[in-house]
Amino acid sequence: MFTQTISLFRYLMLGILSRRLLVLVLVLAALTMLVGSFFNELAIINGKAIVVALVADFLRYSLGIFALLLITTSVAEDYEFKQFERLLTMPLSRWQYIAAQVLVIASLCLLLVLPVLLVISLYSDWQVGLYWASALWLEIFLLGLLGLLAILSLEKIPLAVCFSLAVYLLAKLSGLIAQMLAESVRLSDGSLTSRFVDFIFGAILYLVPGLETFAENDVFFGNVNLIEAISVQFSSTAIYALFLIAVCLVDFYRKEFNL
Amino acid sequence: MRRAERPLLQLPVPLICGFLLVLSSQLLFHHYSPLLREFRYQPLSSPLQASTYRGVAMGSEKLMGYLLALRLQLHDSQAGRYFSYNRIDYAVLVDWLEQITRVNLTSEYPMLLASRVYSQTRDKSRLQLMLGFIERNFDHAPQLHWRRLAEASVIAKHQLGDLELALRMAQKLELQPASIEMPHWARDIRFLLLAELNEFESAIAIIEALLQSNAVTDPDEKRFLKDKLSKFQQELSESRQSIKN
Repeated sequence: MFTQTISLFRYLMLGILSRRLLVLVLVLAALTMLVGSFFNELAIINGKAIVVALVADFLRYSLGIFALLLITTSVAEDYEFKQFERLLTMPLSRWQYIAAQVLVIASLCLLLVLPVLLVISLYSDWQVGLYWASALWLEIFLLGLLGLLAILSLEKIPLAVCFSLAVYLLAKLSGLIAQMLAESVRLSDGSLTSRFVDFIFGAILYLVPGLETFAENDVFFGNVNLIEAISVQFSSTAIYALFLIAVCLVDFYRKEFNL
Repeated sequence: MRRAERPLLQLPVPLICGFLLVLSSQLLFHHYSPLLREFRYQPLSSPLQASTYRGVAMGSEKLMGYLLALRLQLHDSQAGRYFSYNRIDYAVLVDWLEQITRVNLTSEYPMLLASRVYSQTRDKSRLQLMLGFIERNFDHAPQLHWRRLAEASVIAKHQLGDLELALRMAQKLELQPASIEMPHWARDIRFLLLAELNEFESAIAIIEALLQSNAVTDPDEKRFLKDKLSKFQQELSESRQSIKN
């Protein structure tokens, strides 16, 4: 059973890997270094810290979107080429497909963060580089799982990418939205509509990851306990990842395929 | 397989004419629009609340604070031209500096911009606004901002000509508890202010004290101060030369 899952993982992974992937990641890293050197010229003080923080955030968002596109495209091709129907005629369970996809996402994220480790260690020290690479791995892994859930449910790449990005941005901007809603409640003298919307948003927040689930950019400006930061992020990501995998399984087992 | 294409000349004449018209208007617009904008100064817009910037930062508040400070620093450079600080509305500028300080409370950048960049104006009312900002923010984080207040006291004496304000700032530094770590010269800056030194001599004394006391650790700031030191030394020697002649 385990061998079958690994074989499926290898098959899926080979579908994603290509020379273009490596070239694109290297181009991204080179581009960030160029942008970084421009900002280094502008800053009067703390130029190095500003540059490394900027490069780190640039890599975070570009690699996140890149991973999301790769994962959704890979699963969408399985739909398009009737791969699921073919796989289900083999002695394979549906959970094995999900397990193989989770392994693919984990490995892809690992491949993507290795250049990040090098770039950040080059600009900053290796401990910060190691923290950022690990934290970024957790963040992109979570985004990849979200993409997997979206593409399994929605079956179309644009819909899946938009949904995943919407949830990701909702989680990241939850502080701002909560602040706006609280202000709206205050300005409307606590009207029922405003309070209802505020309540609904509060309920939605229970289903999206909190800000502690994401890599902490403030580490580049010092005074952050790296071990503590990564531990909090790891536990938060582990719980949310398990939740997403469970939803993927429920959704995938519910699907009917015409065998 | 590449799809076959019809030659351009076989396309409908109104379509080709329309295309050429649109292309030429695009080229003309692109050619003239920079000329129209070139000499028009874009005033500084009011900032949003710090809490909004913190929300938009998506967890990177400190980076956001620095980026906003850099954006403000570049405001005087528009369309490849540098505008005088006198064109900037200093009330709005101070508002920007206040909001940026609130976005990243651990950053020295807004105070640095106030003491070393925007204090280079000869307009006394503007200078007062800037020194007021420095004095207010020093009270919130004396350990972080004692150097800016020391610089501000020298600016108050020489640029603003307000010895009373300068001495008040010096007294603030002097009265800081021992838990605030700063070199002795900073606590005793009152004596420097009362000494018969001109603007350049005072600035040179402060920069030399900063560099010798190892109060500056950032390499970018050290380079900035060394550049300023050689500039002030040159200006001092030129002013002495002109007095002799």
